[in-house]
Amino acid sequence: MKTRIPDTPEPPVVPPQHWRTLDERVETPAARRAAQDEFLPGAVDISDLPAPSELSRRGFLGILGGAAALAATVACDRKAQGTIVPYTRRPLEVIPGVANYYASATQEGRRVYSLLVKTREGRPIHITGNDEHPGFKGKTGLRVVADILRLYDPERLRGPKADGRSIAWPEADRRLVAALADAKAAGKPVLLLTGAVASPSRRALLADLKAALPTLEHLAWEPAIGDGALDGTRAVFGTDVMAVPRLEQAKVILALASDFLSGEDPEAMAAFAAQRRLSQPGQPMNRLWVLEGALSLTGSNADERIPLRPTQLAAVAFALAKDLHTRHGLALPAGVDLSAVPGGVPPGVDLPTETWNRLLADLASAGQGAVVLCGSSLSAEAHQGTHLLNAMLGSRGQELRSADPLATLTELTTAIQGMAAGRYAAAILWEVNPAYAFPAAQAWQEALAKVPCRAWIGLAEDETAAQCSFLLPEHHWLEAWNDYEDGALAVLQQPTIGALYDTRQGEDTLLALLRGLGATVPGDYHTYLKARWQRTVYPSGSLVPFERYFEVALHDGLVKDGQAPAAPAFKGTGIADAARQAFAAQADGMELFLHPGFATLDGRHAGNGWLQETPDPVTKMTWDNPLLLSVADAQRLHLHDGDEVELALAGTTLRLPVVLQPGQAAGVVSLALGYGRTTGEVATGKGVNAFPLVAAGSPAPFLRTGLQLRATGNTRTLSRTQAHHRLDGQDIVRTFSLAEYAQEATAQEKAAEPTSLYPDQRFPNHKWGMVIDLSACVGCAGCSVSCQSENNIAVVGPEQVAKGREMHWIRLDTYYEGPVDNPTVVHQPMLCQQCDDAPCENVCPVNATNHSPEGLNQMVYNRCVGTRYCANNCPYKVRRFNFLEYTADKTEPESLVYNPEVTVRPRGVMEKCTFCVQRIEDGKIRAMGEGRPLRDGEITPACVAACPAEAIVFGDLKDPDSRVSQLVKSNRGYKVLEELGTRPAITYLADLKNPALEGGRHAK
Amino acid sequence: MHPFDRATRFVLPVGALAVLLTVLTVGWFVQPDRFAKGYAPQQPIPFSHQLHAGVMKMQCLYCHSGATRSRSAGVPSAEVCMGCHRVTRTDSPAIQKLTRLYNAGQPILWKRVHTLPDHVYFDHRPHVNAGIACQTCHGQVQDMPVLTRVMGMRMGNCLGCHRDPHAALPKNSPITRGPEYCSACHR
Repeated sequence: MKTRIPDTPEPPVVPPQHWRTLDERVETPAARRAAQDEFLPGAVDISDLPAPSELSRRGFLGILGGAAALAATVACDRKAQGTIVPYTRRPLEVIPGVANYYASATQEGRRVYSLLVKTREGRPIHITGNDEHPGFKGKTGLRVVADILRLYDPERLRGPKADGRSIAWPEADRRLVAALADAKAAGKPVLLLTGAVASPSRRALLADLKAALPTLEHLAWEPAIGDGALDGTRAVFGTDVMAVPRLEQAKVILALASDFLSGEDPEAMAAFAAQRRLSQPGQPMNRLWVLEGALSLTGSNADERIPLRPTQLAAVAFALAKDLHTRHGLALPAGVDLSAVPGGVPPGVDLPTETWNRLLADLASAGQGAVVLCGSSLSAEAHQGTHLLNAMLGSRGQELRSADPLATLTELTTAIQGMAAGRYAAAILWEVNPAYAFPAAQAWQEALAKVPCRAWIGLAEDETAAQCSFLLPEHHWLEAWNDYEDGALAVLQQPTIGALYDTRQGEDTLLALLRGLGATVPGDYHTYLKARWQRTVYPSGSLVPFERYFEVALHDGLVKDGQAPAAPAFKGTGIADAARQAFAAQADGMELFLHPGFATLDGRHAGNGWLQETPDPVTKMTWDNPLLLSVADAQRLHLHDGDEVELALAGTTLRLPVVLQPGQAAGVVSLALGYGRTTGEVATGKGVNAFPLVAAGSPAPFLRTGLQLRATGNTRTLSRTQAHHRLDGQDIVRTFSLAEYAQEATAQEKAAEPTSLYPDQRFPNHKWGMVIDLSACVGCAGCSVSCQSENNIAVVGPEQVAKGREMHWIRLDTYYEGPVDNPTVVHQPMLCQQCDDAPCENVCPVNATNHSPEGLNQMVYNRCVGTRYCANNCPYKVRRFNFLEYTADKTEPESLVYNPEVTVRPRGVMEKCTFCVQRIEDGKIRAMGEGRPLRDGEITPACVAACPAEAIVFGDLKDPDSRVSQLVKSNRGYKVLEELGTRPAITYLADLKNPALEGGRHAK
Repeated sequence: MHPFDRATRFVLPVGALAVLLTVLTVGWFVQPDRFAKGYAPQQPIPFSHQLHAGVMKMQCLYCHSGATRSRSAGVPSAEVCMGCHRVTRTDSPAIQKLTRLYNAGQPILWKRVHTLPDHVYFDHRPHVNAGIACQTCHGQVQDMPVLTRVMGMRMGNCLGCHRDPHAALPKNSPITRGPEYCSACHR
């Protein structure tokens, strides 16, 4: 929309109601220009193209002549068309060209994901949730979807190594067993450090290993789970407990810096969104209160959000408990003494009494329907206070599950001191990377050097592997067997591809060690697991033979395994001490909030290009972890977006860029963990490692005070997409409070559709359409990752993103409204609107983009010559151009992840969302083959299938009974930039907020 | 002679002829159908469709069983061949080669005869399930001792039939047209 005929004088500049950047908020000339231009100025800059070669004119003509002669010669003979290589013996279940789906599972930290893996000709290409799982219902976490990329990571270690040389597995086993047998004979301890154990079979195996090697000391460590959560629950329940949100019935949710909507818990997101999909005013809707320092994705979805210092949240929790007891009469659990806690808003907390009272009343009136969730970065006291609140409320909004113990940093430090003192004879490090993620990495390295025998089990050589003598490469979970406990469910993980390399699943390595130590164990973990299932899971007296039972379990991916163990009882002792400490901890000055990275978690996904390039849902930052600070602090320190600062804290200094984040509490800076890795081509040099800032031994290692910030005077280019693709128009997002919704719904005054000069499009059979409910959408970007996997979307890297050349077909635009220090936020998924009167179609000189009789705006890659006229004319800015060659250098194993049903686009070609036309065509052909009409909901584009909140609905608008046809008529429905007359096929439903005090908040 | 006359009488006609000849020659050389039609490479095993499909009247789908269920009709696995050839014609050197490969677990590297560009996502299912005979595109395979390509398989071939499929469809088929929009085949 660059060129316009100036028919009216330029209107005076009116700042938009919804803004995305601080520039847009005050409508600077640069922001205005960005709205009118399709591409960022850098995107079309060709200065980064490869330099033209030094070929002389004579040389060029020589090559040209030679090539012509060669072409003529080649053209004189038939070209071989390649070979067809059929199976020698075709596996019964494989039909070449037809996808197979297998139920499997994986874990990330303590979380278990039951999955469905799509394979083509025996290779996994796409991951969704298992639809047999009662909670997931076919949804899953976005990092799990992207983890398929790790299977095909070219940097995976391809065979065992000892001291830098490749060796054979028996040799590795023999030497390792000898070391362990020596340790056993000498009575010296052996350290086994792993990630969280969520698998009963692995737990049994570890117990067997302990029996065979009594000196084994096992520690399970998850760097992304803060010690506060572990210590807090242990103090309250006396055992390790995992609090799982169960929000189906929750009326009032209070999140204390808890980011439960961040995309890793599909069950919580589904349950939360289910109560926000209103079709009529007056229907029940939940209310989300968020008290936090840094704006999280959960905070951006809050109905009431209060920016507070995270260190104050523990005191807030106890003060809430006190006031709920004294003013609302909620009974305290036995043994809890809150007499030392002052009532009311804790001193120093910037919270109006009126808001405080509303929060109290809201929690009290919801009673069992209220739930308090506490973020794992907070202190142990905050967790204790949260558990106390839930116990007082009798909350049914969360399930307490006993979990395998995790090591705190204190426990790990003790082990490291033991290592340094030469206590351990051997260390086995399995799927952990302490050389990167332990706060005192130097101490770790020095201590590990004192352990004589060091074995590492993992996928790709990392910082820890560099120090180990035995490298025992592991299967990716898509190549391995396992099982998991998920509440009352026993979940099975099965391999969906044979091992790509000479690797061995970690459990098989332990079995080999067991065998070497003289234990009688099955030959492989698969047999071990099946034997355990036959013993413990298989119902005794069942009429079904075990083999059949196990096959059915494998097919479904899970079985109901009795009842979940009873929740541990709340113990009130220690609460008084915790409350005292919570009130004693009063911080001043700047404080730092560390949290797991959205893309990287604790660094394990830092090598994943899909995740690194997915913009962080809040900051829209890619490939980097900038320091986020509030606008007020930035003004005080004279900092702007991209300015480099030096952060100094307790002897650690980091240099990193800043990003001004609306909604950030003043005095709080935040930083994501999991960046700044030093191994791996993709991960290296992306962001800074924030783990050295973690305070081992503190009750809240992720909360730090007393930091110093100093501007270095440098400026960095940010690979941040927040300012990219600004739509030029009014009323792009709509957001109503419930009161406004009631008015709006009765008004029912729909704007007339603009008249068109073009003849109406005709749709004889189908008209595909989509409805996106902004009220249900939490903005997690799960759709974007799933789309990337389904449609072979290229990863372009941080430099290209900075130029505005990212390739995502579906992006999440985040709009702010209101004051900079605490705005309300709306996330809007933006993708090709498949307009009936599409502006792009009219301007294509080669007719490479045109309209299908099913309402799709088709993009034909082999016709496209790359004029970019279409993108220039697209008001939604959803067309993506391959400015450089992003795909041609991909070879196996990387190319194995491609979906064979979608073209891999080369340089110079325009691309965009197709509504997953490959799935549409496949669905139609299947239905035709079965001689039946298409069923509604049968065809799901990848974004629809992945959305945990079920915010996107796709279907046939010609079918009056389809869900999408019903939803299009919703009284919240509107179309983006409708006034342009593009007639989009996507209807958005207005966002709803449910503030505790109705009215007046969203003056329109 | 006036230079203008010379230009119009000699240079222009000769130039035009040269251009025309170049276009025709190059065009003839690069026409896709020139080599597509009649392509009959020698296969690693001299399999005769004439014998199997013609003389013995085996159904196409017996071996190419993917055609009703998958995008690609598929070339049968050696196991399918061995279903009969464990006992049939075991004296033939070709069958002995087949047996040797099969027992060694080595695939047979068939030369591809029918091919489409990578950006075409042809699907056998709707065509076969609509009752279109395999011969419509693949020719009278049952008469071919050596499999030969008879159709250029260019977009014109596709669209010609999609616009008027009556000749290819069974008599009482309700189908009147095939899809003609881009994303039916390109995505």
